[in-house]
Amino acid sequence: MSATTSDATAATPSSAPSAGRKDLRRSLRDAERRAEQLHSGRSGYWFILPFAVVFLVFLVWPIIYGIWMSLTDRTLIGTSPGFVGLANFIEAFGDAQVWQTLWQTVLFTLGSTIPLILVAMVMALLVFTGLPGQWLWRFAFFASFLLPVAVVTQIWAWMYQPDLGLFNTWLGALGIDPVGWLTDPNWAMIAIIAATVWWTVGFNFLLYLAALQAIPEHLYEAAAIDGAGAWRRLFSITIPQLGRTTWLVLALQLLASLKVFDQIYLLTAGGPNGSTRSILLYIYDTGFVNYRLGYASAISYIFFALIVILSLTRFFGGRKEA
Amino acid sequence: MLQGALGAGTLLSAGALSSCAGSVASATSSGTLVRIWDLLGGSDGQIMGEIVDGVREELPHVTIDRTTLAWGAPYYTKLAMASTGGRAPEAAVMHLSRLIGYAPGGLLEPFDLDLLEQVGITESDFPAALWERALFQDELYALPLDTHPFITFYNPAIAEPAGLLNPDGTLVEIDNPDALLDAGRAMAEVTGAQGFSYGYLSDAAQGWRMFWGLYGQTGAGYDFTPGRPVDFDDGAAVEVLEFMQSMLDGTVAANNSDYGGAIANFSTEQTGLIFSGVWEKTSLQGSIPDLGGATVPIIFGTPAAFGDSHSYVLPRQLVANQERREATYEVLGAILKRGLRWADAGHIPSLIPVVESSEYQDLVPQRNYAQAAEWIFLDPPVWFAGSGSDFQNRMCQAMQTALQGLGTAQDAVDTMIGEMNTFLETPAPA
Repeated sequence: MSATTSDATAATPSSAPSAGRKDLRRSLRDAERRAEQLHSGRSGYWFILPFAVVFLVFLVWPIIYGIWMSLTDRTLIGTSPGFVGLANFIEAFGDAQVWQTLWQTVLFTLGSTIPLILVAMVMALLVFTGLPGQWLWRFAFFASFLLPVAVVTQIWAWMYQPDLGLFNTWLGALGIDPVGWLTDPNWAMIAIIAATVWWTVGFNFLLYLAALQAIPEHLYEAAAIDGAGAWRRLFSITIPQLGRTTWLVLALQLLASLKVFDQIYLLTAGGPNGSTRSILLYIYDTGFVNYRLGYASAISYIFFALIVILSLTRFFGGRKEA
Repeated sequence: MLQGALGAGTLLSAGALSSCAGSVASATSSGTLVRIWDLLGGSDGQIMGEIVDGVREELPHVTIDRTTLAWGAPYYTKLAMASTGGRAPEAAVMHLSRLIGYAPGGLLEPFDLDLLEQVGITESDFPAALWERALFQDELYALPLDTHPFITFYNPAIAEPAGLLNPDGTLVEIDNPDALLDAGRAMAEVTGAQGFSYGYLSDAAQGWRMFWGLYGQTGAGYDFTPGRPVDFDDGAAVEVLEFMQSMLDGTVAANNSDYGGAIANFSTEQTGLIFSGVWEKTSLQGSIPDLGGATVPIIFGTPAAFGDSHSYVLPRQLVANQERREATYEVLGAILKRGLRWADAGHIPSLIPVVESSEYQDLVPQRNYAQAAEWIFLDPPVWFAGSGSDFQNRMCQAMQTALQGLGTAQDAVDTMIGEMNTFLETPAPA
């Protein structure tokens, strides 16, 4: 509205005040009519309809249906599920595996999020220092992110191979005993985190690189005039200026890491001894391997609630920060 | 079976998630359509392809649409979902050990014995134990195609200088644990590395295959009744697991082999014998042409060999088409009768007349391990067990720590019993 009005005012010829007033009134009337049409017109709904349908059918309805399923004893092979009330939720709260897999999911999230932020930032800073062959660094750091998970896990499974793999061959050359990267409960989660960091760090790297390019040059010039050295500029200008990006990366990364499934499923299937089983893997095993869809839904909703709580904390925390 | 084909078999199961689309598409207008799902993704799958081609020629009035999906848990999920939806294929391959998880839920149709007889298949063609296991409430729910036990393959060029061959080229009889360990050491001396290959790391079945077969050999019983704590011989289990630990000592066998690594070591003559499934026969022959085979040595007294059986089942269909159903019987009968070709894949054909034929008895190494079919020791008949099950995966994981020398056999058995009880407490999906 206001933009239209100011356009109309600008269009008014200043040399003829009375004619100008008439024009102004006409312009205002036109603008009001257009706005009215916009508000009363229904064409807008048609534009959002395709999305709304997909959203309702594939997101809203499954969420509602899943809640209903979590209140039944529905199985993948059964035909007539019965209503069981909150029994599935009560069972889930008492199920040691829910808590164990949830804890392992948290461990993975902490273990992956921190390096995924730090390594990405360091890589972006290194590239931003103006190394020769910028495109090569950018491409090399980002390339692994483009690989499908099946390829990534295949490559890493070979490198982690206990007998003939690259890592154990290197260790052997150094006279160190081989490590059961994916088969020793003490190492398996670390091995999965390492593969995940290598695979996905490129995305965070790109976000940081973009943020670095957006830091105004004059800040550095001013600091340099004041005699700030390179480290001082890094800690007093660059890193604080990257704060908003770090929040974004943190939020995206937490959500991505909590959802971990693919690489664990493909590398260890949750082993050894359940030490890498994430909660999504447990939900999958419960629902699709052992066929207890109702119970699997209940665990999903407990996990869903936790993620919502986490997101809200971040939302309110983030607002204060901004 | 697919699993051995690449060693890192589990990695392939992801591909299976996207590979089920083709089954309906290739239906043509000529002939009655019979759709068959199978899980034969390895070298045996190619042989099955040739068998099906032969059946196509024999039965020109039938159009066979064969879909091969990756072996493992996702296969059974897909089969269950297709059956629940009532739009399943006319027939599918299932491991016999999984039958008990499917038949009670109404996902499968029983076979009509009269129709089977019309295509020349009768009860007397099958070993009694196999037939028995294919029954549910006195009706036949599975038509066994083969038995595929866990056996040993050996390299005669290594076994011979190790003094382990009979004059006729078969493996000498080994009837106690110490003799088996001695045999491994003798082979290790020849190879300069290890005696045996056994790949179990990160595998959802291999650990269980050897353990469960040897447990059967101890003669110890078991009782898996849902809702009750498991009745399982703790002492026998520890004895078996301790034997496996002593075998994985770095000389008799390496303790850090996975499925693919074990095959690589055997194929490159780093070891002289491999514990594996019959389905690896064709690929192992690629590198060791005069490959020898034998049952797993009976070292704990009772003849028993872990194994399973690829069996055809009739998934439930909402709208059953009688014409297609009858054509399905014709197709399955014709496939079973081509058992001799199927034996080339390593599997032991289910039909007695095939196994007893002189042509089969000429097959080496098949004839030297065919006896294992009589000793077949399947998973406990309970809904959560069987090939490709979460149960087997969890048992393998529990054992893996002990087998790597990172824990005791007793701790591993305690974990296994704990997992068994968790499964038995879980309500069966029905």
